[in-house]
Amino acid sequence: MVAAAQHPQIQVITYAEVEQVAGYVGNFQVTIRKKARMVDATKCTGCGTCWEKCPTKVDSEFDLGLGKRKAIYIPFPQAVPAVPVIDKEHCRQFTKGKCGVCQKVCPTKAIDYEQQDEVVTESFGAIVVATGYELFPWEQVYGEYGYGRYPDVITGMHFERMNSASGPTGGKIVRPSDGKEPKTVVFIKCVGSRDEAKGKSYCSRACCMYTAKHAHQVLEKIPGAQAIVFYMDVRTPGKAYEEFYSRTVHEGAVYVRGRVSRIYQEGDKLIVCGEDTLLGRQVTVAADLVVLATAMVPSRGWEELAKMLGLATDKDGFFQEAHPKLRPVETYTAGVFIAGACQGPKDIPDTVAQASGAAVKVCQLLSKDEMATDPMISTVDENLCSGCGLCQPVCPYKAIDMKTITERVAGKTVARRVASVNMGLCQGCGSCTVVCRSGALNLRGFTNEQILAEVDAACL
Amino acid sequence: MKRVGVFVCHCGTNIASVVDVKRVAEAARSFPGVVFATDYQYMCSDPGQELIRKTIKEQRLNRVVVASCTPRLHEPTFRKTLESAGLNPYLLEMANIREQCAWVHAKDKEGATIKAIELVRVAVAKACLNAPLKPSTIPITKRALVIGAGIAGMQAALDIADAGYEVVLLDREPTIGGNMVKLDKTFPTLDCSA
Repeated sequence: MVAAAQHPQIQVITYAEVEQVAGYVGNFQVTIRKKARMVDATKCTGCGTCWEKCPTKVDSEFDLGLGKRKAIYIPFPQAVPAVPVIDKEHCRQFTKGKCGVCQKVCPTKAIDYEQQDEVVTESFGAIVVATGYELFPWEQVYGEYGYGRYPDVITGMHFERMNSASGPTGGKIVRPSDGKEPKTVVFIKCVGSRDEAKGKSYCSRACCMYTAKHAHQVLEKIPGAQAIVFYMDVRTPGKAYEEFYSRTVHEGAVYVRGRVSRIYQEGDKLIVCGEDTLLGRQVTVAADLVVLATAMVPSRGWEELAKMLGLATDKDGFFQEAHPKLRPVETYTAGVFIAGACQGPKDIPDTVAQASGAAVKVCQLLSKDEMATDPMISTVDENLCSGCGLCQPVCPYKAIDMKTITERVAGKTVARRVASVNMGLCQGCGSCTVVCRSGALNLRGFTNEQILAEVDAACL
Repeated sequence: MKRVGVFVCHCGTNIASVVDVKRVAEAARSFPGVVFATDYQYMCSDPGQELIRKTIKEQRLNRVVVASCTPRLHEPTFRKTLESAGLNPYLLEMANIREQCAWVHAKDKEGATIKAIELVRVAVAKACLNAPLKPSTIPITKRALVIGAGIAGMQAALDIADAGYEVVLLDREPTIGGNMVKLDKTFPTLDCSA
């Protein structure tokens, strides 16, 4: 993280979103909205006085509600950049119109309540999409786990935050309901994954391993604790993965093959009812904490980004690679590459490998000063073009513009409009040639004459 | 004067077990403009491409029709073959007699063969009107945008930047790091994720 932030060739822009993408491979114009932080990043030193003094406390999104943050905040202590943002929905200055504490205490006068979003357009030769994943909203469909009603039924990501030394509990595993250390922790795998009825058909690929890690952490951190894992299969296809899982089992984690049918609260215990399909009998566990291994789903906003970049997606919203085996980081849009979980669920080693792959593809492109374009694109015969403009709206690549030309007619100079094809944008689909009434547009390599010759050969 | 050469591929048994390739080549010889037609086991292989190159020179071909698989697979291959024989690569035409014939009409050998002959006839007619084309060039902005600054975005940005190119690493959250920085230790080595 720090390496990326400090690299002289990398400009980090956070709290910003892509709003529009124009252009084509080698020449993209990307419009970026830098959302107003209400803090002048050039003046802020990240001293932290503002968030220490801010009187408003809100649930921390970064800690998934397990901890609190202020209305002016950085998501976590090691955040990069260490420039806070003001959460306008909760800040009193914005909700009630008075407060101003952060502005008063800021030693560098960096707080600016009047700051506006900044919209910039920049040029790029290549784009890497690495928008990642988020977790399947299990609360909406898994009634048997309580629809999110029980505070001590949490996801693996909550568990990660508790384990983190800089997290809301300082690295201690506790029950969110009463802060007590759990003695019996139940893990349930495939929550949303491999469940066509309620979730997704695919395997999320990382859950078997992080659940093994979580079970190991329970046994390591809590003396005398019990870790019970309900699973469908244990999938450990990675280097040193099976060994890691075996180690967790040897440490005492109990793996029960079967699904959990119901969880309910009884006193301060969560009663977990399931089935052990290997022994063919019902299992009931009185647990203190239940951790769900929820499926990975594409990060919100994937539809908009797919539209902007012309990316195809699979049935679940993951971006489609150009070929499932041979072109795993390329997309159907030249110059746009994908890396990480936005292409499909994957773990960190696979993500890093794919990201390096995408980087090579980008370097391949950027290492050239210019690139050859496919010559099989549309051309305009300006003598025939009537300037009707019908071709413009049918072009899916926005490759046709109207331009004005001047010519001598009967001794006079006259100006008229004709269509003009952008070589970089035209993909040679031929849509324009079909609507062109005057036959002025022709696709090189698939001219009207060639197509008619084919028809003649087939029919005569 | 168009001098078309037709090269019919067996694709091992993919095509030849259904389509009578010899009959296709025989029929092709009678099409207007065709001066040469033959069949071969794997046209995309080195000897297959050499056959095309040799024939282009011997028969002074100025148009080439390859009847084989989908152009999505081997059009780039055969374009290079033409180029290496001194012909403009866009003087190539392909007839897809594998996906559009052999595979879909596997149970009707006679019908598949007749269709293959028709597809070659169509391809020859088009090839006669193929004109030499030249790719043009567009300049490249030597700058990359990485959308999303999680582990994937950071790794890609670092690799591109290390190669010497300018990178903008963008994230909608106030911090970079993505989901990865929320994780405590990571499997299988249990090292930290920061």
